[in-house]
Amino acid sequence: MSEAVHARRPGPRAWLKLIQAEAKMVTRDTAGLIVPLGLPLLILVMQGISFEDLGVEVAEGVTAFSVFLLPVVVTMVVATIAVINMPSFLATYRKTKLLRRLAVTPASPAMVLVAQMAVSFIQVLLGIGIAFGVAMVFFDADLPRSPLVAAAVLLACCAAMYGVGMIVASISPTPNSSVAIGLIAFFGIAALGGMFGPAENLPEPLQTIGSWLPFGASVDALQHAWAGEPVDPKNWLVLGATAALGAGVAAALFRWE
Amino acid sequence: MTEKPQPPAIEARHLVKRYKHKTAVDGISLRVARGETFGILGTNGAGKTTTVEMIAGLRKPTEGSVRILGLDPFTERAKVRQILGVQLQGAYLHGSLTARELVDLYRGFYPDPLDADEALTMVELTDKARTKFDDLSGGQMQRLSIALALIGRPQVVILDELTTGLDPRARRRVWATIESLSEQTVILISHAMDEVERLCDRVALIDAGRVLAHGTPGQLREQAGAVTLEDAFVALTGKDIQGDEEED
Repeated sequence: MSEAVHARRPGPRAWLKLIQAEAKMVTRDTAGLIVPLGLPLLILVMQGISFEDLGVEVAEGVTAFSVFLLPVVVTMVVATIAVINMPSFLATYRKTKLLRRLAVTPASPAMVLVAQMAVSFIQVLLGIGIAFGVAMVFFDADLPRSPLVAAAVLLACCAAMYGVGMIVASISPTPNSSVAIGLIAFFGIAALGGMFGPAENLPEPLQTIGSWLPFGASVDALQHAWAGEPVDPKNWLVLGATAALGAGVAAALFRWE
Repeated sequence: MTEKPQPPAIEARHLVKRYKHKTAVDGISLRVARGETFGILGTNGAGKTTTVEMIAGLRKPTEGSVRILGLDPFTERAKVRQILGVQLQGAYLHGSLTARELVDLYRGFYPDPLDADEALTMVELTDKARTKFDDLSGGQMQRLSIALALIGRPQVVILDELTTGLDPRARRRVWATIESLSEQTVILISHAMDEVERLCDRVALIDAGRVLAHGTPGQLREQAGAVTLEDAFVALTGKDIQGDEEED
């Protein structure tokens, strides 16, 4: 005969507490916020003051600055948080047995993963908000002509970048290796996706590779949303497939300890 | 109508854990009564931690079965998590959170948790409530870990290497906390003889993944014809308790 215990999963209060805890961990690690919030802003400002023709209208009511630069900055914010920051938190939690500690409570370690993603998404919105605020005030940036499409692309970009982040977290044995692999993955996809200048300036084979990677696909899709043009289905495919691949790799390889 | 007998707090039957090139646990069976403080004693590498990880449902046994208050920790995980409190060896917590924030976080996981102030008072950390976990001393971290293991009012508590690395004063404070647990069944994993002798009703001596002997500390001393539990351990295992530095 076993004990009469009613199995009870942690409720909304537990989720809220865990998200608050993760948010406090992130905000109290101020150094970790510099890259995702500062680097995109730096690129935005430096590119904004370096090119004179960014104020030229490339579509009705939308400048070259908005169409070509803001999609890169938005994608950078998402990629730095999802590909570099989130995996390093998970790798640290794994190394210090924090996930294992949670595994012996009614909370599952998967709750930490979800809470991390929620906090990361808040960081994404904050990073985009700061970048967009600076762009509006100092560079007369325009809102996307297709805002709903832009929002959908942003969500697809987040899913794809979290997918890449989960691959990084799955294959990294230590927190240091997580940062190293995350940085390599970030700069690899970003360089081919137009972070250091228009992807069109790259040799054609690299352009093709970049267009099949999530950074390039996100930038291209956001550029079309900003210009009010339909998004190439290939970009949706790339972002969706990257998210699915990341989930699959994580399911197969991610270890809580 | 006759009442059905209550299951023991813990019943582990013929637990075996094999890895590729090593058998960490080789047929351990334990039965711990409700309300008992039970010590598992052995050198590093003896199989103590692997045994309790199987009991806690963290590591699936290669062979054998475990029941906690009659519940299977692998198939009835959600139920077991509510009645079990665990303090893991070397486990870390969210380092940037304060003691109070951690207590609040862990309280949220349980249906009927201890009051936060009560939990901090129990381990004498009220004055450290606003101190970040990273800034606590080793003893304070350990006491907070105990508070978190007890926060859900568990019926069974597993405490692994409770006082390793603590100074004598910190050890005594931790012991006092354990001695105050009158209602719970406690499994204490240690290689500190004085700790086991002071806190445990019964002890199992484990070596090379097997139970060599079990009984009250007095019975073990008597069995080995030894004056102290440490002498009994040496006589029964042929090893010095501090001698082996292998991974457990």
